[in-house]
Amino acid sequence: MPTLGELERAVMDALWSADAAVTARDVQDALAGRELATTTVLTVLGRLERKGLVTRERSGRAHRYRATASRADHVAELMRDALDATPDRGAALARFLGSIPDDERAALRDLLD
Amino acid sequence: MELVALGLLVFGVALAEPVSRLLARARWPGRDPVGALLLWQAIGLAGGLALLSAGVIYGLSPLGAPRPALESVLDELGAGRLPALDVPHVVALVLTAALAARLLGVLVAVTVRTLRVRARHRELLDLLATPWPAAPGARVLEHPVPVAYCLPGLRSRLVVSAGVLDCLDVDQVWAVLAHERTHLRERHDLVVLPFVAWGATAPFVRGMVCAQFAVATLIEMRADDVAVRQASPKQLSGALGAMGGVAPAAALSSFTAALHRRLARIVEPPAPLPLALRALVRLIAGVLVAVPLLAVLG
Repeated sequence: MPTLGELERAVMDALWSADAAVTARDVQDALAGRELATTTVLTVLGRLERKGLVTRERSGRAHRYRATASRADHVAELMRDALDATPDRGAALARFLGSIPDDERAALRDLLD
Repeated sequence: MELVALGLLVFGVALAEPVSRLLARARWPGRDPVGALLLWQAIGLAGGLALLSAGVIYGLSPLGAPRPALESVLDELGAGRLPALDVPHVVALVLTAALAARLLGVLVAVTVRTLRVRARHRELLDLLATPWPAAPGARVLEHPVPVAYCLPGLRSRLVVSAGVLDCLDVDQVWAVLAHERTHLRERHDLVVLPFVAWGATAPFVRGMVCAQFAVATLIEMRADDVAVRQASPKQLSGALGAMGGVAPAAALSSFTAALHRRLARIVEPPAPLPLALRALVRLIAGVLVAVPLLAVLG
């Protein structure tokens, strides 16, 4: 029995590799090897939508889903969080190379962009 | 009673300003990071308690000893009567209550914000990072810039980017993971949290900012000490050197200065503080917290 986390990964991967917005049925077909029930796919899509990772639009009678941002964009967001670890964010995550003092934060941002 | 209150006020201000600044500049904390972290916690706690109890003791001073006075004031208020206090004493009590609310409020706000940032980060991580079979619990994020970090909390995460695996050998990665696991195991996030919060309450108090920075440095020292014992000094310094050299922050002078201090401490560790002095540091920490508590409750 796959965990919800694994299913979310699989569904996101399916959305990321699709070119356009897709229906829950398309996702189900893309994950055919897993033999998921439509309700399961809808549940997972609903969770991802609540997390702000997926948007839903209506076309005719079907709902179509797409990822709000590309995989690379999300990775970039995580990297920004991790590299921008100033002392006032020190409680959120701890970086191996330590934190950057506030007065040099702007300089670091310039380097990252 | 007024004299006790004045004494506590002076004690609290002294801890917030000259004492914090002196401790931030002292060199011995590098020889006993755990003791120094305990002392910082005690200074923060004792400073806050001293300022609050100074206000309470002064405000209640016309009614006698603090504890019975507080009980009688609560009784009066409960009965719908105002206690027999003149304006200056009432003002002191109101200011004290406002300070207490502010300190607690900021702590709660920063905690909530921290938990929210962490939860969002963890959600994305679980979708994007792949478990790394070579190290149980560690995840790899596909990105060429080397970065290693941990996300503390009950559902903690340990992360290295693909860039780390490119620029370090396996033993060096082990040293990095040992360092990060120490942050997680000893809950260093909780150690820094009050200083982050109170640094935000009064950023104009230089001592508070010094404290925040000193505590952040000390947890890195502590994690380095454990990593050196579990891996080896050579592996840890090799990892720091390799990652520090290619880090995006490598052009920042304060970053490279801090990195060099850390490298020097790993390669040539200072002699640990003698046992008697370690005991003394812990004793002082206990006494600092006991002073304001005894003044109010004693």
